[in-house]
Amino acid sequence: MAKQVLLIDRDKDHADALTLYIRLKLYDAVISTSNEQTVLFLDNHALDIIIANPFATPETCQYLLTFKETNPRVQIIITAPKSDLDEAMDLFGLNALDYLDLPINSRALDLALARAGTQTSLLTRMDRYTGRLEDLHHARNLFNQLFEEVPCYISVQDRNLRITAANRRFKRDFGSLVGGFCYEVYKHRSSPCRECPVAATFSDGKSHTTEEIVTSKNGKQYNVLTQTAPIRNGDGKIAQVMEMSTNITQIRQLQDHLVSLGLMLGSMSHGVKGMLTALDGGIYQLEAGLYQKDDKRMHLAFGQIKNMADKIKKMVLEILYYAKSRELQYETIKVEKMTGHVVATLTPLAQKHGIKFLVSIAPDLGTIEVDPQWMEATLINFLENAVDACLFDRNKKNHQVSFTVEKKSRTDICFRIQDNGIGMDAETRNKMFSLFFTSKGSQGTGLGLFIAHRVIKYHGGTVHVDSRPGDGSQFTICIPFQKPENARIMEPPAKEKG
Amino acid sequence: MKKKILVIDDDLNVSDYLASLFQDKGYQVSVAGNVKEGIKLAKAQHPDLITLDIEMPGEWGPRFYRQLSQEPDLKNIPVIVISGLSGHQYAVVKAVASLSKPFDREELLKIVDGILN
Repeated sequence: MAKQVLLIDRDKDHADALTLYIRLKLYDAVISTSNEQTVLFLDNHALDIIIANPFATPETCQYLLTFKETNPRVQIIITAPKSDLDEAMDLFGLNALDYLDLPINSRALDLALARAGTQTSLLTRMDRYTGRLEDLHHARNLFNQLFEEVPCYISVQDRNLRITAANRRFKRDFGSLVGGFCYEVYKHRSSPCRECPVAATFSDGKSHTTEEIVTSKNGKQYNVLTQTAPIRNGDGKIAQVMEMSTNITQIRQLQDHLVSLGLMLGSMSHGVKGMLTALDGGIYQLEAGLYQKDDKRMHLAFGQIKNMADKIKKMVLEILYYAKSRELQYETIKVEKMTGHVVATLTPLAQKHGIKFLVSIAPDLGTIEVDPQWMEATLINFLENAVDACLFDRNKKNHQVSFTVEKKSRTDICFRIQDNGIGMDAETRNKMFSLFFTSKGSQGTGLGLFIAHRVIKYHGGTVHVDSRPGDGSQFTICIPFQKPENARIMEPPAKEKG
Repeated sequence: MKKKILVIDDDLNVSDYLASLFQDKGYQVSVAGNVKEGIKLAKAQHPDLITLDIEMPGEWGPRFYRQLSQEPDLKNIPVIVISGLSGHQYAVVKAVASLSKPFDREELLKIVDGILN
């Protein structure tokens, strides 16, 4: 498009001649010989160059200076008599591109117009560059924000697997170790991983997805889903690789929990069906006893039904405990009170089966900080297993279970449960606390000892097992008097406090 | 002469139940708690019918059936599987019947009656 030129001159003939010349030079030109025209053109035309005599009217100079302030890209060429040029230069200074004296030298005018064209192009290019710089700056800010704030770990590695950049979340969990090897920083290894997705991306330029286990600066392990992406330089070569990792630890834990719930329910269904069949048996015996008016049979039947109902209740509670993963509710309770409850529960059971129950509780044991409900259930679980061990043993005539409670040290208390029942082989001893393992066939849930062991662990305690097939077993459970610092606790609801 | 039934189940509550059920119907019942004991009693008593649990400690139900099938004078004894395991009907394919625990008492007695009488 031809450049637009405005000629401001009171001398119309002179302006016409100049216009002709300029149009021959392939410019579009318009003439203003009055203030009104000048204002009209300045307001309504897209001008590139103004060739003006600033003294054409008293107002021309001011119009031009004001216009230049708001339209700095428009180039002004001043034409004036030689005697006025100095004044014109004083007034316009660098606001004018050139100063030509009258009569205008055509060569000078050509050069001035060419210079104006160059200047305009330069300014247009600068505007474009400035605009692009601003866009770049904006994009960079946006990218930085995304990089820092995105809720996943991002790191950038070079070909040597050194971290060259990392986002805030990464630095928070793994440290500000830019410059460190990635396998050292979050795998705590001394050499690269065997199947490194970053190395694979460097090799084939493709994105790779893997699941990894990483270790934070505090030693915590996380399951992460990692995806890599190549970062290419101006030549198209892969200069760095970005690694983006999402923490999926909670999802994996939930998945594990669901899988084990599923397994648990699957493995327990057989046991539950056995119990329901036994319950049916009790009901049948009761019906037969009623029909035959056989009191003895009815009495046995009632016992069987009650026994099965208790077992089913226990199984359901164990399932509910496991499904809910309840946290502990700590209380300070007298040791004597807690063990008293345990002894009171076991005594009738032992008596019923003709098993001697020996209790030895040291005096002055004071108080202990535990979840009383679960600790009592745990001790009862071990004691009931001791009774069962005696019942399973057909070789000895007389059976006994002993329960001893004493201080291990100033800080810890020990509960020892001993029986002279069937005892355990090595396999049973090794697996006894495993989920779903039971030596009681359809009578066991495989949950009781697993839960008991977990309760002891959460109390910061330990269990030691001593057992030999045929000789019986001894369990020594030791826990601290005070709740441990890393105890898993749940605050009781507000209304229960105080 | 009373018909003889051998009940094989490691769960005492279940085997007591089955024994009472069959005895009340006039059958002579013996009970085994595992495969080894079951084979011993089968050889000694030649029962007219065997009820068999699948999941037992040590050897399991299908193993009992295989051992039974290898004895010329025992291999034709009808066997009813009574089990809490899902898929129990596939465990002993030649069983005359396969019932799930907890079983329907009347259904079981009907099957037993059909086999023995």
